[in-house]
Formats: sequence, structure tokens, C-alpha cells
Amino acid sequence: MVARGGHSVAGSSFDRRHTRGRELAALRIRRLERGAAFKYALLLPAVLWVVAFTFFPLISVIHYSFANYVLGEGITGYVGFANYADVLTSEQFWHSIWVTVIYVAVAVPIELVLGFLAAWLVNLGAPGSRAFRTIIGSPLFTLEVAIGYLGVTFFSVQGGLIAVPLGALGIDIPWMSTAWGGIAASILLDVWRWTSFIFIIVLAGLAGISSDLYDAAVLDAKSHWQVMWSLAIPLSWPVITIAVLLRTVECLKVFAIPFALTTGGPGTSTQPFSAMDYLTTIQFFDFGKGSAMGIVFLIMVSAVITLFFKQMRKSLA
Amino acid sequence: MANRYDDDKFADLVRDFVRGRVNRREFIVRGAQLGLSAAVLARMTRPSRAAANLIDSDPVSPFESPITPERVAFLKTKPYKGTTINVMVCKLTVGDCVKYHVPHWEEATGGKVNVAEIPIETLHTQIFSDLSSGLGKYDAYMPGCWFYGDFFVPDNPYIVPLESFLADPKHSYWDPSQWIPSQGKLYHWNGKLYGALLDGDCQALYYRKDIFDNKEHQDKFKAKYNYDFPAPPKTMKEYHDVADFFTGWDWNGDGENDWGISLHAKVNEQGFFHFLTLSGPYVVSPDNEYYFFNPETMKPLINSEGHLRALEDYVKFLANGPREQIAWTLGQGWNLFLAGHSATEPTWGDLPTLAQDPKTSKVQGKMGAAPVPGTTEAFNPITGQWKKYDLNQVGNTNGGTWHLVLSRLSKKQEATYDFMSFMANKKNAVWNAATGWTGVQPGMKFEYFPPLGDGSVAQWKKLGWNEDDVVEYLSAYYKVLSNPVSQEYLRIPGTAEYWHELDVNVSAVLGGQMQPKAALDATAAAWEKITDRYGREKQKALYKASFA
Repeated sequence: MVARGGHSVAGSSFDRRHTRGRELAALRIRRLERGAAFKYALLLPAVLWVVAFTFFPLISVIHYSFANYVLGEGITGYVGFANYADVLTSEQFWHSIWVTVIYVAVAVPIELVLGFLAAWLVNLGAPGSRAFRTIIGSPLFTLEVAIGYLGVTFFSVQGGLIAVPLGALGIDIPWMSTAWGGIAASILLDVWRWTSFIFIIVLAGLAGISSDLYDAAVLDAKSHWQVMWSLAIPLSWPVITIAVLLRTVECLKVFAIPFALTTGGPGTSTQPFSAMDYLTTIQFFDFGKGSAMGIVFLIMVSAVITLFFKQMRKSLA
Repeated sequence: MANRYDDDKFADLVRDFVRGRVNRREFIVRGAQLGLSAAVLARMTRPSRAAANLIDSDPVSPFESPITPERVAFLKTKPYKGTTINVMVCKLTVGDCVKYHVPHWEEATGGKVNVAEIPIETLHTQIFSDLSSGLGKYDAYMPGCWFYGDFFVPDNPYIVPLESFLADPKHSYWDPSQWIPSQGKLYHWNGKLYGALLDGDCQALYYRKDIFDNKEHQDKFKAKYNYDFPAPPKTMKEYHDVADFFTGWDWNGDGENDWGISLHAKVNEQGFFHFLTLSGPYVVSPDNEYYFFNPETMKPLINSEGHLRALEDYVKFLANGPREQIAWTLGQGWNLFLAGHSATEPTWGDLPTLAQDPKTSKVQGKMGAAPVPGTTEAFNPITGQWKKYDLNQVGNTNGGTWHLVLSRLSKKQEATYDFMSFMANKKNAVWNAATGWTGVQPGMKFEYFPPLGDGSVAQWKKLGWNEDDVVEYLSAYYKVLSNPVSQEYLRIPGTAEYWHELDVNVSAVLGGQMQPKAALDATAAAWEKITDRYGREKQKALYKASFA
């Protein structure tokens, strides 16, 4: 140890006291570390976060789901399972679930295939890859609601950028005036928005595969397609699975694009679950029915995600 | 008047007065010569400012007229310097109208106004989240009139009455006695004034006068339907025939096929107002004023035989317009008419006002306007009987009648009311009603021509109107607003939800996903649940109060 002025003070009483102090402090920390309190103290922020933002809202939603709620008056009484019965016998509810399922079942696979192919081509170093990488990412930074409103200008027969040229070619698609047209238009916009998400994740996965493996595979394989099927897909499967899981969870919450594009119509034919729950709970302040709706959907989604995880574990085993 | 001849002469005289060809004195003298009371004529044409101690204008606030001396003195102190108020408006043209007046008020008072524009589909949520959470971030809101009931659910209502502010001459002058009664009612609740004048909605039938007056078209029509061309149609049957006649051929000679009707029927975008308006005469009549509920039981009337026939007839109009109109917003629906491709449109007064802008309209000077066609048979859902009438035409106040209301939570109520009253002042009110893009329609007598008000064609022409268009427009608009048989306006708590259910079910019928009967039954079932949630007895009491 070097004191001020460069004189050694090793062996001085100050140094001994100082060393002893540090040892005691270290001992206390070790004791604390061994003690439960310290562990709990470290966990506390995370626990508080979960209690405040997950546990409390969930309990609150369960509580509301048994109540009759009126704007301006609050809870006016408790109705048992009446809100659940109302939800489970509602045609509109089941239709909104059906719309959501179609949305996920069509949009996610398309995004997966397109995102993977784009990532594969970029990973191969296809010409223009660098520019493509930038361009494909841009929709991801655009607000979904803006994309939905933009869609009106694409699919309207009054000067729509997509509808009018198609109409001129004799392909007259009733994008906005039919259920299937509205869902198809929403899915197209969703694919445009979210393919880049899959692309980015899969590209990272493909980039993680050793170039030695690629070189060996290219020597053995007859084509790039064979390399893709027999090497790239199996080795990036864990990453693909995560991408699909994240995208599926996100897609189950689909709201802004279809709502901005068709406002759920005609009727409620293009209304996904989130839009119905939003209208019930937020627009009309029916917290009781809206909460029951949310709980039913949560149970359904949890079941699907659990199955998904089981399947994922099997495929990775 | 003694006879039909005098009646016509008086009509000519009124027309001359309206168009500025005779002055007020001459109008009274010539009217008296026709046997009318000079005193009554003088009263009918009296300028509204005669009622108060008012001066025409003052440089201290060039955008107000008339103005009180007290206000002139008040404004000289720049009374709201350092005060900022927050106002939530609907992201529609009416919201733009409020924004237009902000710099003028700021200049006059020294205050500052922050305007937040909220899309119509989330406006209700935003207003009542701010109020029910107690945040009170906004001092005033712009609700559609169908939100009114929700303000009165708590024992202490969310909005405050305006009478005490109105009585204070330091604020901008406006006169609620000038309201056409059907309009003024929408700004009141239980006899108290809660809203400051801005908009005055109703739906009328607008049509292409030039096309309707075309002799060749009239002859073709007669050959096809075996009766004289009804210009304008007075019954729904005539309207269907006219819409059908003008569908699918090039009647304007531009090389494209045209349409008989244009609708803006997108769900969640006020599309259901078309159905409300067009179904009115099937249910409302001199013998029945109830359209929505039985006031004694709060049982829905919406699935009555009358409503069902109305919906079945309404769906027939789909074939007379572009298929996509079921997904059109207001602007898209209006565009078809303004571009000259639709012969008719039952809608708000925005259409004739927008028609005056030659940049976006091909129909200036070609506008015809009339009350919405009626029926010759109406169903009374209270008694369950159909009854025949010569002609059952029904008035309405359908629409938002958008205006500002003052929050109970506001800490700047004086300044906020001052801003609200500034826009209600006659000079601004007339400008709002006569200017196309504001989305504001005339609900005050002074905006009309004598003998009702003291407006003049010259005044409207100065703001870009075609002379014939404005006479047609105001004449029809007043007929709709003043019809003694008028469709009720639902304002009870939960109206947004009741209407949403009707909206989605009618839209489902238009989209071919439901049959009319099933749609109306589903609506009635949903309404029952909403009524039960809010409490049947409370709803019943508020339903009756909303008629008060």
C-alpha cells in the first residue's frame, strides 16, 4: 500500500484497522448472503413488479368478471357467473374467436415462409441483400393503426392503389364490403407489417450456424434448396420455434390493423377478439362482461400455448 | 290570407326579401297590404340583437358581433392572460371548426387553448375515462348528443349547467331563445342548458335538381313506372323508384354509369343514422312518438313490424349504389354525390355546404333538397296496429349535433365557458353554418331567412354559396327540424352501446350475413341486456327525462 507522498505505511495500526474492517464487512455480507433476508431483498423489486402489474390486475379482472359495472356508478352488484354465461352463449364472442383463429392460422404461416425465405436469401448473400435488409425492416417501425388506415387507401374501389389496378385487369375483389375480403385485406397488411419480424429473428439464427457446416453441406448437396431443407431448417429450428411462438402470441392480440381498416364490419364479420373485448370493456365500460371475456380467452390461449410448449420440447428433445 | 293567390304573392314577397330585393320596411308594408298584421311582420323580421343592450361590433374583438359593452370593457383587460384551457374535440370537421376559432379567441382574451382531437370511435371512451377516473385533464368536451345520458348517471353530473355564465354580460353574447326548438332540446337536460351552440344536425334528402328537372328523364321515368316523375320523391315508394331509375346508366353524360343513391354505411362510423332516418316514417306518426322503447316498460320497440318493414326496404337501396358503400365513411359517401355520380343522398347538411366548393364539387348550383320521404302507412309499436296516412313525413334531429359541454372537474370554468360562448356568438355561428368544411349546420333561427330569421342570401353568397342552393337547403332543413311529427333522439345512459348493437346488426344485414328479422331480434335482445345492466327503473326515468 502506498500512502500520500509515496511513503509505505504497511504494518501501521491504521492499515491493520482498515484491513480488519474490510474483513468484518465481507463477513457480514457473507452472512447476509447466506441469510434469507438478502435473497428476498434482491427478489423484492421483481416480486413487486409482478404483484403490481400481473397479480393485482388479474385478481382485479377476476373480481370484475363477477360484477355488474355501470359507468358513473361503478359496481352496482354481483351477478355470479352470469357474465360468463353471457359470454359463452354469445354468437358474437365465438365469431370473434373464429376470426382471430383464421387470422393467426393464415397470417403466421405466410409470414413464417416469407420471412424464412427472405432470411435465407440474405444469408446466402444474394445481390442487393444489404439494401433489402434495411427495406424489409421498415414496416416494423410503422404504427399498426397507421397501416390499417393506409389500407383503406389501398383497398378502396375509390382510387385504391391495389383495388383500382386489379379492377382494371378485371379482378374485382370486394375487399371492404365482404367478410372474407376484409379479413384477406387485413391479413395482407399484417403480413407486410410482420414478415420482417420473422426475417430478423431467423436471420440471426441462420447467421449462428457455423460456416464450416455450410461449406460441407454445399459440397454434399445438389442445390441450395437441399442445403436449406437438410441443414438450415433443422439447425435453426429452435429459433424458428421461438419466432413462431412470439408471433402467434402477438397475432392472437390482433386489433389495430383490422379495426382501423374495416372497424370490424360489415357487421362484426371482421372483428377479432381484441376488438370485441375493447369495445365491451373500454368503449362501453361494461367491465363485468369484458373481464369475463378476457378470462375465458386467457384460459383458451393458455391451453394452446401449453400445448405448443409441450410440442416444442418434444421436437427439441 | 284571403285566398291562394295572396298566398303565392306572399311567398314571392318572402323570396324577394330573402334574396335582398326588398328591404325590411317594404316587406312589412307589402305584407300588410296582403292583409297580414304589420306588427307580426315586424316581429318576424326583427333583428335578434334588439333583445339586449348590444352594439354591432368593436375592434377589441373583430370576430364577435353583436357584442355587449361589458364584454368590450372586459376584453380590454386581456382577462385570460396566462390561462390555458384544454378542450377535447372529435376528429371530424367540427373539431377543425373549433380549432379555427382558437387563435381569434386567444387574440381577444389573451388566453390559450389546447385542442386534443380524438377519433370518433374512441371519443366516448376518452371523455368518460377522463371524467370517471377523476383526472379532469380537460375543461370541455365535444360529445355527440347521444352521449348526454352518460353525463347524468352520477348523482352529481359530470357537466355543469351554463345559465349562470350565460347571464354574465362579460362573456360573448349569444341568445338561446333563437334555437329552433327541436335543436335547442338537444343542448338541454331536464330544462337546464348544458351546451353552447355549435352544430345543428338533421338528415334531409339531397338530390340533383338539374337531373330531376330534365324533361327527357321525366318522360323515361313515366314510361317505365306509369306515373309522373316525383321531383322530389315524397314517399319511400317514390324514392325507391327514383333511385332505381337512376341506377346503372350514364345520366350525366361523362361516359360512366351512375347511381341512384349514395350511402355512407360503414359500421362504427355513424352509418346506422341512415337507417334511423329512413325508418322513422314507418314507425313514428302523428299517433306515435316512440321509436326506441316503450316508455312504460323500457321494452325495446326496435324489432316491431314497422322497423322490420323499414329495414327490408332499406336493404333494397343497396342495389342502387356501389356495392362498397356498405364500407364507406361519410367522406366517401359524399364524394360520390359531389363527383356527380349519384342522383340522391339522404344525409346531413354537410353535403350541400361541401357542394359549394368548386375544387371538390361538380354539383354547385345543381342542389335540390327536401325532407326525407315519408310513408302512407305506419306501424304503431305501442298499440301494435298499422294505420294508413295520406303522407306520413317525419322530421328528425339525427346526427351528432356536436357542441362543447363544460366539465364539472374543470378549474377554469369561466375561461372555458368564455371560449364556448365565443363560438356561439352570432357572427361566428353564421360563419360556421355557411362554411362547408366546418361540418356545422344551422340550428338557430337567425341563420335562416325571414320571416323566421334575419339572414339573407347575400350573406350566404358572400361565403361562396350559390343562390338557389342555399334557398333550397335552408328551406328543406327547416322543414325537417320544425316538423311537428319528429323522430325522437335517444339520449339515455348507454345510448352509444344501444346504437352500436343496432349499427352492427344493420350492417350485418347490409353485408348479407343476417336476415332483417334476425338482426332486429338480436338488437332487441342486446338492448334488454343493456337496460338490465344499467337498471330498468333508472333507465325508464331517464328515458322520460330525455323527452322533457
